[in-house]
Amino acid sequence: MNFDALTIVYILEIVVGGLLVGVGVHFVPVGGAPAAMAQATGVGTGTVQLAAGSGLTGLLAAGLMMSVTDNIWPILASGAVGAMIMMDTTMMAGGWIYAYAVGAPFASAKVNYDPITGYSQPPYVAPGTVGQGIPTVCYVSGTIGAFMGGLGGAMIYYPLMMTNHNPSLSALFAIGIFLVNAVLASWNIQGTIEGFHDPKFKRWPKAFRSCLVATVILALVAVTITGGA
Amino acid sequence: MDALSMGLVAAMGALATVAGASEDIESDVGSQSNPNSQVQLAAQVGNPHRIYNKAISGEPPANALWATTAAVVAYTLITKFAMPALFAIAIGASVAALFNGVFSTSAYFGRNASQRRFNQWIYLDIVRYTTTSIMAHAWITAFCITCIAYIQTQILTPHHPFPMPVIALIWGLTVGAIGSSVGDIHYGGEREFQWRLFGQGLNTMLSGQIVRKAEAGLRNSIDNAWFCTKLGGPLTGLAFGLTVFLDNWRTTVFDPVTQAGLAIGMGLFFVIIMNLYNFYVETSIRKKYGPYPGYKGDIAA
Repeated sequence: MNFDALTIVYILEIVVGGLLVGVGVHFVPVGGAPAAMAQATGVGTGTVQLAAGSGLTGLLAAGLMMSVTDNIWPILASGAVGAMIMMDTTMMAGGWIYAYAVGAPFASAKVNYDPITGYSQPPYVAPGTVGQGIPTVCYVSGTIGAFMGGLGGAMIYYPLMMTNHNPSLSALFAIGIFLVNAVLASWNIQGTIEGFHDPKFKRWPKAFRSCLVATVILALVAVTITGGA
Repeated sequence: MDALSMGLVAAMGALATVAGASEDIESDVGSQSNPNSQVQLAAQVGNPHRIYNKAISGEPPANALWATTAAVVAYTLITKFAMPALFAIAIGASVAALFNGVFSTSAYFGRNASQRRFNQWIYLDIVRYTTTSIMAHAWITAFCITCIAYIQTQILTPHHPFPMPVIALIWGLTVGAIGSSVGDIHYGGEREFQWRLFGQGLNTMLSGQIVRKAEAGLRNSIDNAWFCTKLGGPLTGLAFGLTVFLDNWRTTVFDPVTQAGLAIGMGLFFVIIMNLYNFYVETSIRKKYGPYPGYKGDIAA
């Protein structure tokens, strides 16, 4: 293969994509198993799982767009929008169960007032829990996280596709790089996070650094693979 | 946009709805979901039970495995043996269900055997008639997702460039993530601790104190499926169906080659609507339910 200036641009794009995924995971409101019992604020699943579910839905949308055009902007936008749709429908349906089945008002225990709506939170937190449901700030934060995840996934897929022209190979590599960054960020989060208002969010520079190192290595490996099956 | 493509997108939405519903019921019967932490804990705090216990991994990787297995088998049968697609997908789903059966039984035996010191029994009757129910639901999920992957790669225009198994892998991960986020709340927050006050989240003190008596006799996992079919399953299906439908609808109605901007704008429009809707739900339930009784803080409701 030729290691020219364009290849370096592709490597940089993959690195930026990986960093977007790594930081984007911090925005996704994840409550893990406690959230499934209405014991904690957020969506009742794991960080990697939710980020991967939304980011890879975005990857599908980006892949479809890339099959009809080579223009990078619609591909990136399509990936971001696909991921946001998945994340928002999931949080919306989860919210229905909190609101109309469990009957718990949405409340966050990390802040006294919702930074977006200004609603008070502590009076609505059930005793013995750390909040429940998905308040507006978490919902908006999740949408931003999905945007970054989808954008990152598409930004990893695009350069891979430009170097090897093989959709299946590029998709699998993109899934791999995506998951590496999502898992690294999850170690930083340690299970649960509510979104950008959560104190844990301030730890994102650590994840940024580790994702940078990991993605640079992965990008070097990924762009040297040409052609394939 | 043509009539066939719109019909196909609608069919994909319907298949996704069924896949989502069956995925959630599968995880509830087998208790392969977040609330399984409580099922595991129950025996340790002195409540042995007859609930299936098989969380080998999170739901998303597990469902990605079933869906990909089905898609790989179906893809091989279609391309190498020229088998009709529907038969091939059905056979693929059956292979996936068999894999699921092996994983389920070994997980049940392993998990419950390891809890012997807490007086947790291994119930052979539970294994005998619950495992088949789990496998049947996994079959439906794998079948529907492989059908969606087949439609996207072979029939819908523009054809999706990814091969069938990769699409099945991605949708399998997504359906698992949605089932784990949406369906689990109904199973965990609503089913396992029914005797607490309506509207309360689970108090940390109550961890592991799951309900073990059913409407008739001792509760088992089939009772959980009966309960979760009412809301958790359908809403999971709705969320996954909406994801698949809205995401493909916008690129089918608007031609991605000439109207890419409109397709993206439509997606953004859905996102904004859903954000506003969540705000409406939050406001209305705060008004309806009010603050928790006994709140003693100094911040006004």
